[in-house]
Amino acid sequence: MGINFYKRLFLLPGLLLLIAIIIFPLLFSIRVSFSSWNVSRSGLDFVGGANWARMWSDADFWGAMLRLLNFGVVTTSIQYILGFMLAHYVWQGIKSGRLFRLIWLVPLMTTPSIMAIVWRSIFREDIGAANGLLKSVGLSTIGWSTEIVPAMFTIYVAEIWQWTPFMFLFLLAGLLILPKEPFLAAEIDGSSPTRTFWRITLPLMAPISIGAILIRLIESSKIFDSIFVLTSAGPGNATETPTYFLWKRSLTEFQIAYGATLALTYLIVMIIVLTIVAKVLTYISRPRGW
Amino acid sequence: MASVTFSNIGQSYDLSPDESTWALRPIDVEFKSGLTYGLVGPSGSGKTTMLNLISGIVKPTQGQIYFDETDVTKMSIAQRNVAQVFQFPTIYKQMTVFGNLAFPLSCRKWSKNKIKDRVESIADQIGLGETLGKSANKLRADEKQLVSLGRGLVRDDVTALLMDEPLTVIDPQYKAELRRKIKKIVAGKGITIIYVTHDQYEAMTFADEILVMNVGSVVQRGQPEELFERPNSRYVGNFIGSPAMNFIRGVVDQGQVSIAGQRLEVSTSVTTLGGAEIEVGIRPEYVPVMEAQGPNVITAEHISVSDMGSTRVLNCKIGDDIIRAKILRDQPVPKLGPIYLHLPSEKLLVYQDGEIV
Repeated sequence: MGINFYKRLFLLPGLLLLIAIIIFPLLFSIRVSFSSWNVSRSGLDFVGGANWARMWSDADFWGAMLRLLNFGVVTTSIQYILGFMLAHYVWQGIKSGRLFRLIWLVPLMTTPSIMAIVWRSIFREDIGAANGLLKSVGLSTIGWSTEIVPAMFTIYVAEIWQWTPFMFLFLLAGLLILPKEPFLAAEIDGSSPTRTFWRITLPLMAPISIGAILIRLIESSKIFDSIFVLTSAGPGNATETPTYFLWKRSLTEFQIAYGATLALTYLIVMIIVLTIVAKVLTYISRPRGW
Repeated sequence: MASVTFSNIGQSYDLSPDESTWALRPIDVEFKSGLTYGLVGPSGSGKTTMLNLISGIVKPTQGQIYFDETDVTKMSIAQRNVAQVFQFPTIYKQMTVFGNLAFPLSCRKWSKNKIKDRVESIADQIGLGETLGKSANKLRADEKQLVSLGRGLVRDDVTALLMDEPLTVIDPQYKAELRRKIKKIVAGKGITIIYVTHDQYEAMTFADEILVMNVGSVVQRGQPEELFERPNSRYVGNFIGSPAMNFIRGVVDQGQVSIAGQRLEVSTSVTTLGGAEIEVGIRPEYVPVMEAQGPNVITAEHISVSDMGSTRVLNCKIGDDIIRAKILRDQPVPKLGPIYLHLPSEKLLVYQDGEIV
């Protein structure tokens, strides 16, 4: 038996695992999406593109998609800006930097559903701290879970609070490995701290920033637990995102075939959107003259 | 351009009270405006510290630094307005070559047109005119170093141009080319240049004046010729020149120098050194091979030959010491064995305890 046999033999466990957890479910989902598998009829019959046509005209699904786009862009942007500010602050060498690093990591170490319960208690309309605070300064209370904008606001706040430390940690690691020489050279060239930040620090951080932003966009698109606990996608479906929509169609209403179609569409859209985002960010951070 | 003056400047990184351990022992030095200086010495001799003190990267433990009459000791790096080229090419890799060269000027808020003209002119001078639109990160190491240099040269108001071993990381095939280019670029610009290197050849090529450093002190300063012809210590004699200066042990007896029992005429007065142990120093370049005995001709034992390309070095033994003689490649190589070497009195220097007499 040649060396190639052993190479393939040793690759086999990994390959089988890959087939079992990725390739098979993917292919199976594609097949299911062309069937009518639902709560009353299981099995792989063939209904052509019926599910795909339904998905295409499902305004609720596309509404959830648009909501997710808004949610992902806004929360990731705010997380990036706040995370960068904190990381830059620590990187510049503040006293008690270690303590701050630890404190800022607490949200990251909290289980999302527990964190969501804490936020829900803060935003409870009757006995929550948020309304209590508003009342104490003489303002009228807000229907955090009954009005659309405040309901979205609670989810945005919870998400930003929990994941800004991830950005902070990721970007701080990036800042700490930046070479010192360009900063010395910039100082020698007469650059002001502001110019150094915009022209040296930020562009040098571009590859790390792009990585962090993409990871957060992917992660934020999967948001489920905090919506489940905080608003249950309400009021109505005002805070519903694709993952929640998918879960409802597939696992509460057992529209398995339609759920598979939605999942595949979601996957395709995400691949396209993230590829475009990566290309755009890379283009923005290309070497420049001025 | 400005003169740079160190007044009792000392630098200790660990704040040790023992000055003998300082990176730069307290020193007074003046670098005159418009001249090129070479700082040479082994690693750890304080060359880079001296440069970083001038640019402000390092703040001195004691003393004052003046640019002309202005005390800049407490000024920031930017306020000092120096240009510095580091050992490793320091470029803004996220910018194009144009962006790199334009950066110091945009910091000075020059207009775009003025920047463009200036950058293009400097880029042409340093041979980077064709690469202006390229990402600086995609250049070769020697080209990157030229970009670093270019960033210093685009500014027409720099107090001094500091270069910290700029050729160390450059491949040998580009080194000579880059050295030639740098020399051409800075020639006639009237810039005060301080060039740190551990390569004496580089220093001698560039500098109007060389400062030889050792363990935090300047042990000798002077024009390249002066350091070569009259090193004031064994250390400088060994450091400058390739191969190093010959030092042969001898004694002064009745007002005359003798080595291995052979008397020599020297141009230095040694009458006050009666009976003292001394060393006679002479450059291998000034030791011709003779056919026969004569005045100041010594007999030595020719033991080996080292090939140095255009020249050869004859390694000879006299007493327990080695004396080297450099001959041109087209000269015949004497046979191994006894050899006559002429030590011209005007080229012989006398050293006692490592210092020139």
